[in-house]
Amino acid sequence: MSLVSVQGLFVVYEPQGALPVPAVRNVSFDLEQGDFVGLVGESGSGKSTLGFALTGLSKPPARVSAGSILFDGVDIAGMTPAQLRVQRHGGFAMVLQSGMNALNPVRSIRDHFFDIFTAHGHVSKRDREARAIELVGKVELPASVLDRFSGELSGGMRQRVSIALALSLEPRLMVFDEPTTALDVLVQHAVMDTIRELQKSEKFTAVLISHDLGMVLEVTERVMVMHDGLVVEDALAAEILAAPQHPYTRMLLSHYGDPRAAVVEVPGLAARGGDRATDVAVAAAGNAPVTVTGDTLDTLEPVAAPAAPPASTVRRREGRAAREAIVVTNVSKIYQRPSRGEEPVCAVNNVSFTLEPGASMALVGASGSGKSTIAKLITGVERPTSGSITFGDLQIDTIKRRQLKRLHTEVQMVFQDPYAALNPLHTVEYILTRPILNFSRLRGRDARARVLELLETVGLTPVEQFAARLPHQLSGGQRQRVVIARALASDPQVIIADEPVSMLDVSLRAGVLALLDSLRETWGVSMLYITHDLLSARLVTDQIMVLNSGAVVEEGRTADVLQNPQDEYTIRLLEAIPHPTVGGLVQS
Amino acid sequence: MRYTLSKVGLLLLTLWAAVTLNFLLPRLMPGSPADAAIAKLAQNGPVSPSTRAAIEAQLGVPTGSAWDQYLQYLNNVVHFDFGVSYTFFPQSVASLVATALPWTLVLVGFVTIVAFIFGTLLGVLAAWKRGSWLDTLPTVGGTFASAFPYFWTALLLLFFLGYVAGWFPTSGAYSSSATPDFSVAFLLDALYHSILPATTILITSLGGWILGMRSTMINTLGDDYVTFAEANGLHPRTVAIRYAARNAILPNLTSFGLALGGVVGGSLLVERVFNYPGVGYLLYTAVVNQDFPLMQALFLIITISVLLANFIVDILYGILDPRTRR
Repeated sequence: MSLVSVQGLFVVYEPQGALPVPAVRNVSFDLEQGDFVGLVGESGSGKSTLGFALTGLSKPPARVSAGSILFDGVDIAGMTPAQLRVQRHGGFAMVLQSGMNALNPVRSIRDHFFDIFTAHGHVSKRDREARAIELVGKVELPASVLDRFSGELSGGMRQRVSIALALSLEPRLMVFDEPTTALDVLVQHAVMDTIRELQKSEKFTAVLISHDLGMVLEVTERVMVMHDGLVVEDALAAEILAAPQHPYTRMLLSHYGDPRAAVVEVPGLAARGGDRATDVAVAAAGNAPVTVTGDTLDTLEPVAAPAAPPASTVRRREGRAAREAIVVTNVSKIYQRPSRGEEPVCAVNNVSFTLEPGASMALVGASGSGKSTIAKLITGVERPTSGSITFGDLQIDTIKRRQLKRLHTEVQMVFQDPYAALNPLHTVEYILTRPILNFSRLRGRDARARVLELLETVGLTPVEQFAARLPHQLSGGQRQRVVIARALASDPQVIIADEPVSMLDVSLRAGVLALLDSLRETWGVSMLYITHDLLSARLVTDQIMVLNSGAVVEEGRTADVLQNPQDEYTIRLLEAIPHPTVGGLVQS
Repeated sequence: MRYTLSKVGLLLLTLWAAVTLNFLLPRLMPGSPADAAIAKLAQNGPVSPSTRAAIEAQLGVPTGSAWDQYLQYLNNVVHFDFGVSYTFFPQSVASLVATALPWTLVLVGFVTIVAFIFGTLLGVLAAWKRGSWLDTLPTVGGTFASAFPYFWTALLLLFFLGYVAGWFPTSGAYSSSATPDFSVAFLLDALYHSILPATTILITSLGGWILGMRSTMINTLGDDYVTFAEANGLHPRTVAIRYAARNAILPNLTSFGLALGGVVGGSLLVERVFNYPGVGYLLYTAVVNQDFPLMQALFLIITISVLLANFIVDILYGILDPRTRR
């Protein structure tokens, strides 16, 4: 008998005063003891809803409306909360997406373990300390962690603790809901390794829910792909890799690539020739001054960017292509800790680079590497502790309040989280009109015309309809396009994009990246692209700088650096990227 | 430990600043108490120099340098010597305050704490049983009751339960025939007199605590650690109290500190309505009679009580929230 047998499962969301929305539709599958199964889908596919239903955690407004979930032969879909609670010891456990917040901030880690032991009574008072130490040992944490509170632990440690807590239930089924998504790249890799080893040694059945098909394919044996509440494909990982059946699976797969490959491309984003020794996009834009940032100036083949509007509809800026370089010289930023006695943090350590007009440069590194601090320094939000930053004749490191407006006319940011970057109370038109009024002399009808022009530029057509919408009526990708349009409103020379696609679904990423890339080609703006995602860096940038603990460890042309990384840190970053078949996906 | 010490240091520093300000303010104001008294007399005709001298002698005119006065003042404050009240001459200000303070602290302070505890518990229950009658009743009732102005609730209670029904005394803290001591009879009498004012405070402040706790509790119930605790099969009561309520109460502690600090200063209205012999009533008398020494001492007491209440809440935070200890 299968450990878990799901038959014809439907889960609906029934918000008060709104129509019920089906989230999981007619899903059936079996899980055998010791299986390691991946559950993949984009946001809204119903994968987390299914995970919550599997562990008996569906809460209003979500409701299992039909079907059964047999766990060891018993239907848990119809159980009362009290019956379910007893089942949790030796039954099913869940590790939540944001393990960062899964721990009670006012209880010590030890208390968390003891609470579980008390609730189920499966560990006696005498043994519980030893058992807790054993459990944290299994996730490679020292016993001293038991005395700590969650606020004193790093994100990776917290996620390990919640895995240990789930493990303390001695579960036969463990559901991991995006267990590493909120973590730093390198930590992600390590936590995933721990999960894999635990699954082997403890022999529980595991379901790994993730949006990242690449990771799931690498880790699990069998993969279920969810789309719009349906399981559209359920096959062995190797089969999915070799011959994906469903178009949706094929689409997801096509967005993976190995940044180390000689040629890297995804649908909507053509390869930047790995051997091309130049990155002069401005030349393609026409009458802009020709600037060379690489060693030689070759003729560029125009890069096709299907997701962007056709070039003819975009009004090219006459003579407004980027003219000035951002020159960063020996910049350091040291943050003093608020309380005395703690060492000051050196966020940026003696960094120098030049962002040539029209160039695109990637700034990559794990979190805490100082890449976002550099963005703050360049936009004048923070002052460097030492060193100088110039943009044309503007001295940014000592910029006066009055000059900030001029700087922000020329240098604009695209933020990471499109959900937080737009005021939910204002229409798209209002959001875009504000910077136009602030930064240009356009008023009234001209300003409105400019709004529509911007929307067209970022591919939000029909423009009139989009102008009237509120942010919550837009998808994540559409919102990010509005954010980009807003950044373009002042007609800037430089765009600083801080992880612009990390919050977006894989299928939307390529479109936004292609848009950014095409802006550079057609408008001649320079771009500083900040990311931890080496694949996207490879796709849209020509130059790359790898940051570790605030210092540049490696720099050069993106294709060269990623194909032949020299620094150990770069190599580790590259290795942390899931590679189901090293390079195999890229060719498909 | 370091956290507590730093809070004690902060308390001492603010105390000193408050005392010093209390010293400076009257001296920065134009005129003097004597001038005020003379100006009043001058409305009825010219004031002779001898009258002026008499008034100044009675009220006392500061002598010595400002620094000497300051040291003298600090010395007096340390010894609780705030001079003599004008209104209740020749009683000392210190003795007046000492008589009034316990009434206020016991009545208003006790009821404020009870309201906080009771309201918080009801709020926890309302959020935990969201949508049931345990939620609707306290929420709607609390909103309704706290929407009444304080004095109006007091007048309603006085009128119906005091005059019409005659169940409760309508003024004072104890029967005019009783003498304050610690006998059981007197304490019962005082308790009987405190029921109406206490009920008024409870009715008007309970709703705020219920609503405040309910909304923070609903937020924490949506937090991941609550879901995770449920996923781990903890007992529902453990989840509600140790996980959700324990965190939800933290932001409400700040409001509790403000309420506690307002006990001494904010008791004026209720004590005036019920003729309750507490600090608020004393302050009212002092202001009406331009009793400067009494006022000054009361302002100091009010400031100190606010500081102490905040100090207590800071320490509570340190105990309840490990994040503040660092």
